[in-house]
Amino acid sequence: MAWKKWNFILHRDMGYLCIGLTLLYGISGLVVNHTSHAFNPSYTIETQKSQVSPLAAGKSPDMNYIQQCLQELNVTAQFKNVTMLTPETMRIFAEGYTIDVSIASGETVTERVERRPILFAINYLHLNKGKGAWTWIADIYALAICLLALTGFLMIGGTGRRRALVLTIIGFLCPLLYLLLLQ
Amino acid sequence: MKKHSLFLLVLFLLSVTTCFAAMQLGEPLTLEEVTKVSEINQHPDQYTGKRVLIEGLIINVCAARGCWMDIASDVPFEKIQVKVVDGEIVFPLEAKGQMARVEGIVEALHLTEDQARSLAEHQAKESGGQVDLTSIKGPSTYYRIRGLGAEID
Repeated sequence: MAWKKWNFILHRDMGYLCIGLTLLYGISGLVVNHTSHAFNPSYTIETQKSQVSPLAAGKSPDMNYIQQCLQELNVTAQFKNVTMLTPETMRIFAEGYTIDVSIASGETVTERVERRPILFAINYLHLNKGKGAWTWIADIYALAICLLALTGFLMIGGTGRRRALVLTIIGFLCPLLYLLLLQ
Repeated sequence: MKKHSLFLLVLFLLSVTTCFAAMQLGEPLTLEEVTKVSEINQHPDQYTGKRVLIEGLIINVCAARGCWMDIASDVPFEKIQVKVVDGEIVFPLEAKGQMARVEGIVEALHLTEDQARSLAEHQAKESGGQVDLTSIKGPSTYYRIRGLGAEID
């Protein structure tokens, strides 16, 4: 029948088109699912405690002291900004670094943030952080996936019909059972 | 097929590179008059439910989901939190130390002692910081801004 032929062609070509984005959304979905306080899927965050020279009593922190702290911590990244969180704690911002300095004791907590290679980009797209044009592309992809599922459903038949129906029903039951039994 | 693959690749690369440059997040800013953070912190009830535009240094960003950021006040050692709906706006972690203009609605969260402690613990976990729970006593009201749009320099 002619419709079966066109259904197959549509399913096949939509499948080809969706390979790239399905991998992108699949991999990103996997890591984003496990977002927690201990795991950011887009960034690596390292925290390290250290020690710098304390600020002399009675002195106010200035650029010289900030540069000295950065030098002692071996931070060569470009300085961005500085603020006092409390009268005792100064926070220095440098590219990729946030450094809290206890000015009286010289104790520091350095947080280093780096984008995860590849994962940052695919999560950026998956989570649609950029909005705009990507919203359209993602919408089209979502519709394409629906079409892929429907054309796939219409291909059920022949010798593997029973197996196809069982697998399809399992696919529907997974979310339904989860919602009914585990929520 | 090669053409299709090439087209998708170009589209992917274009989207990634162009989107990273944009630091306009959420709705475009509509207000022109800036309200000082200290003014909101001093008279929160006057501003609750009102749409405001604030500006200041970003001193912290939610490390898990980028769903909130702390903006330093014009008064030393003070700040205000901007909270957004998860996923609607995602504040980049690299924004720490940059200046932001944020538009949103001031909201009041009336918390019991337990809720206040839970919130403080939650925020400390998200920001990787520490919290002194003994300082939280009795019910309290927590004021923050529900962010609608932001511009980060």
